[in-house]
Amino acid sequence: MIIVIDALNKHKYPKLLDEMFKLRARVFGDRLGWEVNIVDGRERDQFDDLDPAYVIGLDDLGNVVACVRALQTTGPHMLSDVFSAILDGEPPIRSATIWESTRFCVDTKRLARGQGRNTVSYATCELMLGSLEYAQASGITDIITVIDPMMDRVLKRSNNAPYDYVGKVADMGKVPALAALLDCTDERITRLRNFAGIYHDVFIAEDEIAAAESYESFGTVNGAARVSADLEKYCDDQISESATEKEKHAALRLKAALADRIRSRSDMRA
Amino acid sequence: MVTNGLTLLSLDWRTLRMNKLPGAYLDHDLFDLGALPRASNDYLGFLFSVREKFGLDDVAYAGMNPINGSIFGHVTYGDAWKTHYVQMGLHRIDPTLLKARRSIAPVDWSRLERDDDFRKVFNDASDFGISDQGLTIPVRGPFGDVGGLSVTSSLSRPEWNKLKANVIVGLQSVAVHMHDMVIRSDSLSNLLKTPNLSQREVEVLQWISAGKAQQDIADILTISYRTVEVHLRSARHKLYALTTAQAVGRAIAMGLIYPG
Repeated sequence: MIIVIDALNKHKYPKLLDEMFKLRARVFGDRLGWEVNIVDGRERDQFDDLDPAYVIGLDDLGNVVACVRALQTTGPHMLSDVFSAILDGEPPIRSATIWESTRFCVDTKRLARGQGRNTVSYATCELMLGSLEYAQASGITDIITVIDPMMDRVLKRSNNAPYDYVGKVADMGKVPALAALLDCTDERITRLRNFAGIYHDVFIAEDEIAAAESYESFGTVNGAARVSADLEKYCDDQISESATEKEKHAALRLKAALADRIRSRSDMRA
Repeated sequence: MVTNGLTLLSLDWRTLRMNKLPGAYLDHDLFDLGALPRASNDYLGFLFSVREKFGLDDVAYAGMNPINGSIFGHVTYGDAWKTHYVQMGLHRIDPTLLKARRSIAPVDWSRLERDDDFRKVFNDASDFGISDQGLTIPVRGPFGDVGGLSVTSSLSRPEWNKLKANVIVGLQSVAVHMHDMVIRSDSLSNLLKTPNLSQREVEVLQWISAGKAQQDIADILTISYRTVEVHLRSARHKLYALTTAQAVGRAIAMGLIYPG
């Protein structure tokens, strides 16, 4: 499940944002050894003060398990500033229809290996889908993303390989980082969906997410939301496993009939 | 950078493989403000051509001066609404300006909370026949300058959603184009010529001006040599300086640092 948090709605989700900063500290500080600033177990930098948008992935229990940060390339952003080493002295890309994505990370500790929901692979693909669709709906044609070589391999493995790279591989603390380009096209989104077997709307309704913000988790406290997630999964499985058009139609009708119990749509899109 | 904004924009498109993308650039039938002599920049004409081309009710651009917070704009709205808007000081509370600009994505006004400010602006607006169905595209410039292109439509909701999906890429380009042209006009760019240096960048330049070597600065600030280099490179870039000596000279001239 994906939620987009930006300056307009962040006052509603302080806990999710806090969890996200903690996840970033674990991944970029502890695991990857980047030279990042960690205070009280939370990783933040000056770009977090510039009202970026965060695309955040939650597991079925409402835990923050993946996140990425987006900024416009027309204004201050990482490649125009602290990641300028990647560009090797070249001026950064500045375009109305290109966003920069940074701090892409997934909680490899909490999530299981293998396939299916609540795995590293699923959370990674879901977050990439959420980012691409959010950007596309915003009139963005391309994303320039600052990643490490491991994430570059993950992108390639997920049928979501960058179409090009900008600048050079540069050292960021213990590991190198590079700037890759991804197009926000239907073709790429379809490839990724087919790879991950994700055919539902990945965005979660804001009222449902309020449950994750208020309670410890969906599973332990808010049973109704958990049921809702399971119901949605059941419907989606029925849709994706339908063998004939008739079956598919029936499955879609079932999901539509249960729409108010599932509430999987988001109003985040512009 | 400001004067080169448009050049950079078009270069970017060439270096990326954009030929297959729909509507990503300014179309030929929208005239290019950058091609006009500065004195005759016809912002309003440009906005009317945008309105025509995209089938919108009204188009408005507002830029915000980051230094004194003043707002200036160019709009296709009628004179009566413009006068009322300014007289009532609605720009000081208008959520389509003040809230929407803090998003990175276009903000459909349905996303804005229906609070007192929203109701105040749009209750008045409806008296002037202006729809509360619209979209603001926030723009951020390199100097902390911000702006927004707002468009309104009185189509039905489903038709509006369809129109939005079709024009959003084009509107992004229009918004940044308009913003860059306004910002590069004389009155504001004088204020914006002060580069937006970070604290660290100022610190690094200040220590260089005091005669310290990069390794010394790294030790003083307890950051790595490489990080000093990163701040320095960024400071040079923001000051349009090719060398560190030039950057220090400019920073002193602008009063950003003290002579060492």
